[in-house]
Amino acid sequence: MNAPVDRNAPRDHEEQIFETGAGIPIEEVYGPEAIEAFEAERDLGDPGEYPFTRGPYAGMYRSRIWTRRFQVGFGSPEETNERIKYLAANGANGFVITIDLPTSYGFDSDDPLADGEVGVTGVAISTLEDMEALYAGFSPAQLSYALSIRPPVSSVTLAMLACVARRQGVDFKDVIGTQQNDPFYQMSGGPLQTITQFFPLEGTLRLCVDNIQYISNNLPRLNWMVTNGYNLRETGVNAIQDGAFTLGHAFDIFRLARQRGLDINVFPRRASFFLSASIDFFEEIAKFRAMRRLYARTMREEFSASNPECWRLRFSVQSAGNTLTTQQPRVNMVRAGVEAMAAVFGGAQSIHLCSYDEGHGLPTEESSRMALRTQQVIAYESGITKTVDPLAGSYYVESLTNRMEQEIGKKLADIGQRGGMVACIRDGWLEAEINTARIKNQHDIDSGRRVLVGVNRFQVSPEEDPPIHIHKIRADEWGERRTAMLRRYRAERDQARWAEAMSRIDAGWRNGDNMVPVLMDALENKVTMGEAHEAMRKAQQWSFR
Amino acid sequence: MTRKRILLAKMGLDCHDTGIITVAAMLRDAGHEVIYIGLHNSAEQVIKVVVEEGVDAVGISFLSGQHMTQVRRLLERMRAEHVAVPVFCGGVIPSDDAAALQALGVADVFTPGTLTGEVIERVDRAMAGARA
Repeated sequence: MNAPVDRNAPRDHEEQIFETGAGIPIEEVYGPEAIEAFEAERDLGDPGEYPFTRGPYAGMYRSRIWTRRFQVGFGSPEETNERIKYLAANGANGFVITIDLPTSYGFDSDDPLADGEVGVTGVAISTLEDMEALYAGFSPAQLSYALSIRPPVSSVTLAMLACVARRQGVDFKDVIGTQQNDPFYQMSGGPLQTITQFFPLEGTLRLCVDNIQYISNNLPRLNWMVTNGYNLRETGVNAIQDGAFTLGHAFDIFRLARQRGLDINVFPRRASFFLSASIDFFEEIAKFRAMRRLYARTMREEFSASNPECWRLRFSVQSAGNTLTTQQPRVNMVRAGVEAMAAVFGGAQSIHLCSYDEGHGLPTEESSRMALRTQQVIAYESGITKTVDPLAGSYYVESLTNRMEQEIGKKLADIGQRGGMVACIRDGWLEAEINTARIKNQHDIDSGRRVLVGVNRFQVSPEEDPPIHIHKIRADEWGERRTAMLRRYRAERDQARWAEAMSRIDAGWRNGDNMVPVLMDALENKVTMGEAHEAMRKAQQWSFR
Repeated sequence: MTRKRILLAKMGLDCHDTGIITVAAMLRDAGHEVIYIGLHNSAEQVIKVVVEEGVDAVGISFLSGQHMTQVRRLLERMRAEHVAVPVFCGGVIPSDDAAALQALGVADVFTPGTLTGEVIERVDRAMAGARA
């Protein structure tokens, strides 16, 4: 064996690897020959015009700075609402509402499976009144919430949102926000087990399309998130896989919606993506630009959409949690700053930055505020927002954008030959790709091929690494309070009306009705989140317990 | 090194499995036999496999804050059923909780950024200690 290399020692000529994170070689210098095939008119166009390489809107950040989303959600809806009021007063203008795990799977806070998990990773939502409490003091026409949820649960939360709007007297046409609706990648992007254990896959896909149909017909300003590419990327796949799996998934969902008879010139208008901005700066910028171009070309040419609004890929970004380190955690602020700039140069519509302490626990108020302040420095101090797509025409960036488009396109073609992304998820191909990537990443870190500051280079001893404040969870307290609340809720409701509403869920499911209005009726009759799911499972003669 | 049989599992509703899948590959590469039983296991399910498969150690991974609840229950059930094998935890676990888990009887706690060589060494050491 070789003697161990002291990676911290200064060196005259450091060994470097000249390739992107996805393995695309990087030349010493790029000149005009790198973009010989490039035609500005065809490949760039104007911002806000086909093929949207330069951005989905004409003025971009000159017209409107991206939404600085703030991730919030813990304990009860009342506590979360109090926190949102505080944050809104401090400059956050959009919120990602994180949901606790029981709610994410459609269980009430008092379900035995919820033990120890209530309010931990996000807010618990079991009733319509919970959603009302989350919006207390705010109108869904004024404040944008992006609920971090997926079908089947997103059908219930969408029905809750519609009921809250109706109760507040808000016209459905004015409701804003984002309804995440990705059936596959939401639960950590990982294994098929997350999707199939508690609800039948076919039923999940049906509700996904029910949501698209309902939003498209009734809530024209509400975004629905078609692909959670972020959670997928967090598993460790590279930027090319990220682009291809994200778009391949979206196109499959669009095909399902079209099979339902939905109009390709209408329903994709408010489709949006949730993407990761990782640490490889130029590759991420090229990824965003290439994805916009590929999406536009595919929507126009393959889907024959003629409405330009349906060619335009819009996305929100979160900085990559999997680039953060537990060691020397404050260094993570710098990583988030680099990733935020990649998102801005890439033309994001909304950004949320990870907090520096995420390798230790859930974010604290202080660490969340730092993440917001990082964005504000970029937005209001750096000046990089003041002209649209400032990197356009760069030999390197355009060459890399072209290369990313080609590579993502090749991977998409491969997925197409395998029967599409949904088939690739069902048969385990995606999981195998993910697992290969995970293991490669670990090897690259172990061998030092990939440098992680503070982990495999530039370490300090634990004693030199000053402690940070850590978020405390109160799972037991939250669980007890929510259980007591739900006991009262079930005892005090009109039992006959509740039972009728439950049977209408059963009938609606069997009839193939759009379930969103059926669920709205059920929620108004005090059917809970868990009960609605149980009724839908029963209607499919399906049980997991 | 002797080849050991190690059970890996996720408990509770948490579904982040990048860490545990990576650790499974590390341990297999080091020559161990790894049984990975996936997500959403209860203490009872974990113990059943420990007994049926006669494993030498158990590793449980967490990312979403349920480590104290789940591990406390697992260790209580193991004691009640006289099942004694070393239990490891890994994942996003605050340092105070890592100390608390070890006080409860967890053999070792691995947090993100632990390199492969160190993981193997610490797992082997704890399993050797359990035999002595």
